[in-house]
Amino acid sequence: MRFMRAWLCVVPILMLSAAPATSHHAFSPVYDEKRLITVVGVVTEFRFINPHALMLMNVTDETGKVAKWTVEFAGRLNLSEAGWTAESVKAGERITVTGNPTHTGSQRVFFRKLVRADGSELLPAGPQRLKAIEEERRQRALQRSQQK
Amino acid sequence: MTRNHPTYPLLALNLLAWLTVSCAAHPSPRPKIEGMWSDPPATIEGAFCSFACTDAGMEHLNALLDNPANDARPFQQLQDEAKKYEREYLRSRLTDAALKNYPLDPADDPGFLRCEPWGLARQMFAPHQFEIQQVGSDRMEFRYGEWDARRTIYLDGRKHPASEGPSAMGHSLGRWDGDTFVVETSDVAANIAILPDLSTTVRHSDQLRIVERYSRSKEGETLHLTATIEDPSTLREPVVFKKIWRWAPESKITPYESCQPPTEFKKGVKP
Repeated sequence: MRFMRAWLCVVPILMLSAAPATSHHAFSPVYDEKRLITVVGVVTEFRFINPHALMLMNVTDETGKVAKWTVEFAGRLNLSEAGWTAESVKAGERITVTGNPTHTGSQRVFFRKLVRADGSELLPAGPQRLKAIEEERRQRALQRSQQK
Repeated sequence: MTRNHPTYPLLALNLLAWLTVSCAAHPSPRPKIEGMWSDPPATIEGAFCSFACTDAGMEHLNALLDNPANDARPFQQLQDEAKKYEREYLRSRLTDAALKNYPLDPADDPGFLRCEPWGLARQMFAPHQFEIQQVGSDRMEFRYGEWDARRTIYLDGRKHPASEGPSAMGHSLGRWDGDTFVVETSDVAANIAILPDLSTTVRHSDQLRIVERYSRSKEGETLHLTATIEDPSTLREPVVFKKIWRWAPESKITPYESCQPPTEFKKGVKP
């Protein structure tokens, strides 16, 4: 199988868990937020729409059989706040997507991280915002220690 | 003319009187809240109040952040802990009737199941774009990115109508109270309220009344909402929620027209 399912460590799950907070409804009825999987394939379509952006991709196994996967994102409203455009992902690109699987195990995943063939990454807004927040925390802790 | 000319005090008094009358006739302009706002700045407060927050929850988060023992814990973990505290704070304010269905199963959310747009109690806390426009002298138009929802705030001193039935966005009357824009809303149809995030929704009745107070920060970069919510069938006492937006003139509201009901879902899974 050329797509692989991977259990990732706890820290990335916690870091990535900020994304659904900016979605317009809970995603827990469809996706298992406690598990992450990784899917490798070729993009066939990226729909930059509201309320959920969608990406279709072909995932080929070792026997040459092609499975069609759907990647669901937060909506265009959300992604554009993180700098995404309709051109962020192009048909024909080979990508690696990490995300939450469905409860049923269907060929569908909720986006948490995307890595292009050249190694560049696309992330939702949550993790990017967390970097700034952790820096604010560091400054706050520094001020606290200086006041002692 | 010498320094001790007797007309100087009189001139000074006249100038003071003119300034007093002039300022009373032309009060300082109210702050501009019209324009495009969007997701809050990437700050601790902005993250915690991304949907809505309470002072109780924020104080709890600050206590966690100020404890050196928590310095090595990720922010997300502390925020989750503060949100859990906030949910308990809100739970203690719910009526027995509301507690029977609290929190609602996310799989029963009509917005998720059937793509039904939100009612006001969720819409006013919606993430992403929030556009304010004054139309003429008698109304403000609020437009939200989520669901591309719109509502009208009347400024002409009218009363809430006695004959119209409740609607999703209710009937809103606005006025300025100093530098704060105040919106009073009633006639909101029974629906779902977020208290205060996706994992804690509750049904509210059509007795819901909301007072929203909008103020722009001194620097002008953020818009702050303080919303007082009353609903005797849901809440034992009024509850105050807060929210923040960032000034975002570059942001755009894009079409909201591709909502698809889910093809698969599981009930009873907590967010």
